[in-house]
Amino acid sequence: MIRDTSAPAAPAHPLPVLLPFRLTAPQRRFPPLRLTLLHALGIVGLGLLIAGGAHAQAGVNQLSAFGVIIKWFPLLMSGFLFNILISVLSMALGTVAGVGLGLASISLSTPLRRIAWGLTQFFRNAPWLVLLFFAMFMIPFEFRIFGVTIPFPDWVKAVIGFALPVMANMSEIVRGAVGSLPSGQWEAAESLAFSRRQTMWMIILPQCLKRMLPPWMNLYTLVTMATVQASIVGVTEMLTLIAQVHAAEGGRPDLLAPLYGFAMLCFFIYCYPIELWTRRLERRFHLHQ
Amino acid sequence: MKKLLIAASLALLAGTVAASADVLDKIKEKGVLTVGVKADYKPFGFRDPSGAIVGIEPDLAADVAKRLGVKLELVPVVSANRIEFLQQGKIDLMIATMSDKPERRKVVLAIDPPYYSDAVNILLSKKVKNVTKWEDLKGKVLCGTSGAWYNKDVSTKYGAEVKAFDGSEKPLFALKGGECIGYLYDQTFVQGKLLDAEWNTDFAMPLPGVMEAPWILAVAPGEDKFAKFMTDTTIDWMKTGFVVNEEKKWGIEPTDYSKRMHEEHKKGS
Repeated sequence: MIRDTSAPAAPAHPLPVLLPFRLTAPQRRFPPLRLTLLHALGIVGLGLLIAGGAHAQAGVNQLSAFGVIIKWFPLLMSGFLFNILISVLSMALGTVAGVGLGLASISLSTPLRRIAWGLTQFFRNAPWLVLLFFAMFMIPFEFRIFGVTIPFPDWVKAVIGFALPVMANMSEIVRGAVGSLPSGQWEAAESLAFSRRQTMWMIILPQCLKRMLPPWMNLYTLVTMATVQASIVGVTEMLTLIAQVHAAEGGRPDLLAPLYGFAMLCFFIYCYPIELWTRRLERRFHLHQ
Repeated sequence: MKKLLIAASLALLAGTVAASADVLDKIKEKGVLTVGVKADYKPFGFRDPSGAIVGIEPDLAADVAKRLGVKLELVPVVSANRIEFLQQGKIDLMIATMSDKPERRKVVLAIDPPYYSDAVNILLSKKVKNVTKWEDLKGKVLCGTSGAWYNKDVSTKYGAEVKAFDGSEKPLFALKGGECIGYLYDQTFVQGKLLDAEWNTDFAMPLPGVMEAPWILAVAPGEDKFAKFMTDTTIDWMKTGFVVNEEKKWGIEPTDYSKRMHEEHKKGS
């Protein structure tokens, strides 16, 4: 049979190959990074547009929305840093407590396991704001122990308030990660005469780190975004300052959208890279393939 | 968690014991006077770009600290937490635009005489020429905030028609749109608006305030010694005209109440 080789045409029918199943449409390998810039530019552009519109509306001797944000930038940033401080500290406190609680929830002792389960479920299913209120109003503003007064400012109480749900979620992350390891690991360790504690600390937990990192980072971004709730209970963080800046600028209604938009932009710029990094880690650890 | 609860309850106990000591001694021992002020009420208490809380009330607080010879610490408060902070002992003194109400006098120790007084006034368009007293408002249309207790009084007493809107932004918008000749609201709010170029080019507050609503300083219940000190301080402010000067310093028209108190006490001395 002579075939026409001058034009290598595609076969009329593709070969019957079984393609891997995809849950979603195929994605480019690193699309989000390029999109971040585009997104950020879009938001800044929108902000400028609103600011520009507000400027056109505003009369003489009035700062444009953009000018207002520049003028108050250092103060607002100090507020934002405070949000980050609260999120980092509550995450640290909650993680330490949560690892303990998570290990207790897989302990061999039944009462300990039950208590840990109860605490985890209670704090995991309570609204964060309610826990925050409890921390705010149950803990006094200063401790007086043996004649020494230890002040307990609002933001420390907020840290405790946010650490409670972090602790419960962390406990579930630890429990889930330990449970997800193949039981062969336990059996192999046992056959090598490792004690339970040794198995846990030297074999199981090190392998779990990889699995726990992405959900832990996810939890962190959630905590960061939740810190603005502290404004409701009177902590002087970014959202509180935004409201006060708005008042100091005479409560102009045209400033509301730019000011709160600025807060949104700050949180987005901070949280989105973490989100990206989390996804990359997940991909690297092959957790979704 | 358990430890935390135990520590918290212990500290609560300790806190209640500590609160019974005289607050004036505590202030002098610490060397710091902690005052709760507003941070979102221009020009009475608001932030400057450095983050410091400034305004009339922080100045009053600074004067109290100076008289006691201690340092000043300002704590920003809002209406929802100011009374609680005072009862807890988190602040020693409250200077936070609090109107005098009987139910408030039950839970805090109010200082008499009231240090300031709000009133009812009108943000009036400058285009309106023939209104020089409240009686001139007969038959005129004013914008107002629905729910304000004085809306009805003003319409029955002075014969003005009050168109009520929700909140304070909508009536201001209606005023700009020409639906009424002025906005009937708290005088302190009107004065705050007039600090901004957006409002003071076309609007003014030509009438005297009516229906005064005094503002009170407050200390924690049972602190009679500190209350006495604050009463003397307030009277001294009136004597020296301190509040009137503060109003001028922060760009608002001195209220009738401040001027009247200044006159009365100046004579008395």
